[in-house]
Amino acid sequence: MAPNITEILFALGLGGRVVGVTRFCDWPPEAKAIPKIGGLVDPNVEIIRSLDPDLVIAFRGNPLRVVERIGKLGLPVFILDIGEGLDNLFPLIERIGRVTRTESAAAGLAAKLRARVETVDAGLRGVHSRPAVFVLLYGQGLWTCGGESYVNDLIDRAGGTNAASSLPKKWALYKRERIIKDDPGVVFILARSASDFAAGRARFARMPGMDGIKAVKEGKIYELDENAASRFGPRLVEVLDRMAELLHPERFGGRT
Amino acid sequence: MSRKTGRRLFWAVSMFLCLAGFLLSLLLGPVRTTPGDLARFIQNPDRVRAAIFIDLRLSRAVLAFLVGAALALSGAILQGYFRNPMADPFVVGVSSGASLGAVLATALGFEAAVFGFSGPGLLAFLFGLGIVSLVYALSLRRGGFKVETILLTGIAAGALASALTTFFLFMRSDSYDQAVFWLLGSFQLAEWGQAATIAPWVVLCLLASVWLARDMDLLALGDETAQALGSPVRRVRKAFLVMSALLAALSVAVSGIIGFVGLVVPHWVRLLIGPGHRTLFVASALAGGTFLLYCDLLARNLLPAELPIGVITAAVGAPFFIYLLHKKR
Repeated sequence: MAPNITEILFALGLGGRVVGVTRFCDWPPEAKAIPKIGGLVDPNVEIIRSLDPDLVIAFRGNPLRVVERIGKLGLPVFILDIGEGLDNLFPLIERIGRVTRTESAAAGLAAKLRARVETVDAGLRGVHSRPAVFVLLYGQGLWTCGGESYVNDLIDRAGGTNAASSLPKKWALYKRERIIKDDPGVVFILARSASDFAAGRARFARMPGMDGIKAVKEGKIYELDENAASRFGPRLVEVLDRMAELLHPERFGGRT
Repeated sequence: MSRKTGRRLFWAVSMFLCLAGFLLSLLLGPVRTTPGDLARFIQNPDRVRAAIFIDLRLSRAVLAFLVGAALALSGAILQGYFRNPMADPFVVGVSSGASLGAVLATALGFEAAVFGFSGPGLLAFLFGLGIVSLVYALSLRRGGFKVETILLTGIAAGALASALTTFFLFMRSDSYDQAVFWLLGSFQLAEWGQAATIAPWVVLCLLASVWLARDMDLLALGDETAQALGSPVRRVRKAFLVMSALLAALSVAVSGIIGFVGLVVPHWVRLLIGPGHRTLFVASALAGGTFLLYCDLLARNLLPAELPIGVITAAVGAPFFIYLLHKKR
């Protein structure tokens, strides 16, 4: 009952056995064709029951009372505790592997992802500059990710420093004055499409005072796929790769 | 049309609508089902359909009916009690107290189920009853027992509880999604246990209020006159206040705060069949239950996502209420 769970199930080769997903589950594209059971906070118990699943995988963000109600109807429910920080991704995949009896596929997937993360780690060994990064969530206002989010962890692992890492929150509204003071060298905009990104970049650069900050002057404003970066699933590693390439082009093939 | 045929018509139509409402509740839902499916299920039950028809849809319909009956009865009692058509179950602070309890439980992470109530349900019930007792105690100490004092104390205590509720919501903004369903009511999580918890109380209060209906009629003449005519006014008043608070607090505990039913339904009924309390109580319960049954049908079928039922009760109830008032004049 969450998009990242759906992504992990598909990555484990279980796509054909998923009978219901939330309305937010749009990756991989095949998931869009699967019957919808509602959203994260409003899954529909009746639809879930009618699909007669062998297992319901919930997570802590689903309302506990709804999850309990599903259990009372006689359906086996497994509630995942999704952690924060990239290192928690591998145990999560392995746990899903255990409850779906695909332990070996899960171990393989976790090992593959871990290897990619280690490649990035190795590539960054000995790096001294850690560019200050500001992450902007496309939309109204200056929403960014604070120190408790896994995006913060990703930036760290990709050899950057999150400008907003001192905020003790996952998502937070940032002040314009503080961005100017932080003077980040790189801005990542989390957007769903290229046009959203272009609009977000234009709006960011137009804000009073922004023309003076380093990232705008040097044109270092980049797009990140919001869809991939906001879900605690396998695609986080792709986001990590991209961040590392953008932050340290000298170490990772120089694609910018 | 004479009053008597009018009444017969009222009962016939209400009974019909009520039964039709239950049937529709069984047939309509996010999972498409036909009357044929229902007939086949009755002949030959299977596990999945049993869960959908009996555990989910029927339990929900029964609970919606019981809560509607409880709220309308509670409203009918209080309107008689205060001799004021503006009174409803929530004016003495039950709703604000109950929502404070529910939000507090959510904020503290007290979610476990106790005695068939969820954690927020239980705290809602206790806070709802607590605030009524407090209001009652405060009103008594002001020397004598004045209706206006209860009313005003109730409004003041309610405002205080609302302020605290908003404060807790503000502090824990992540529990807001859940809280909306408390503050506007929902039968999303209805189950048989809840219906079984409140059913005996609803029946008991209905019987008791019918038994005391004569005294309520006398109260309409004023407390002194009622006393002179041999009614034990103070005891009657206390009994009615306890019953109305109990009914409202139980309703909030299982379904959150559903406004408008307690205010509007007794009015409809009074306009249609007259002010005698004995019939008014029974008819309000029937009409309130039926009304909420249909509101819940709309709440869960109107949009792909569930709507809080309070949105429907107000949106449907208010225009119809205004229409009836104007027609009467």
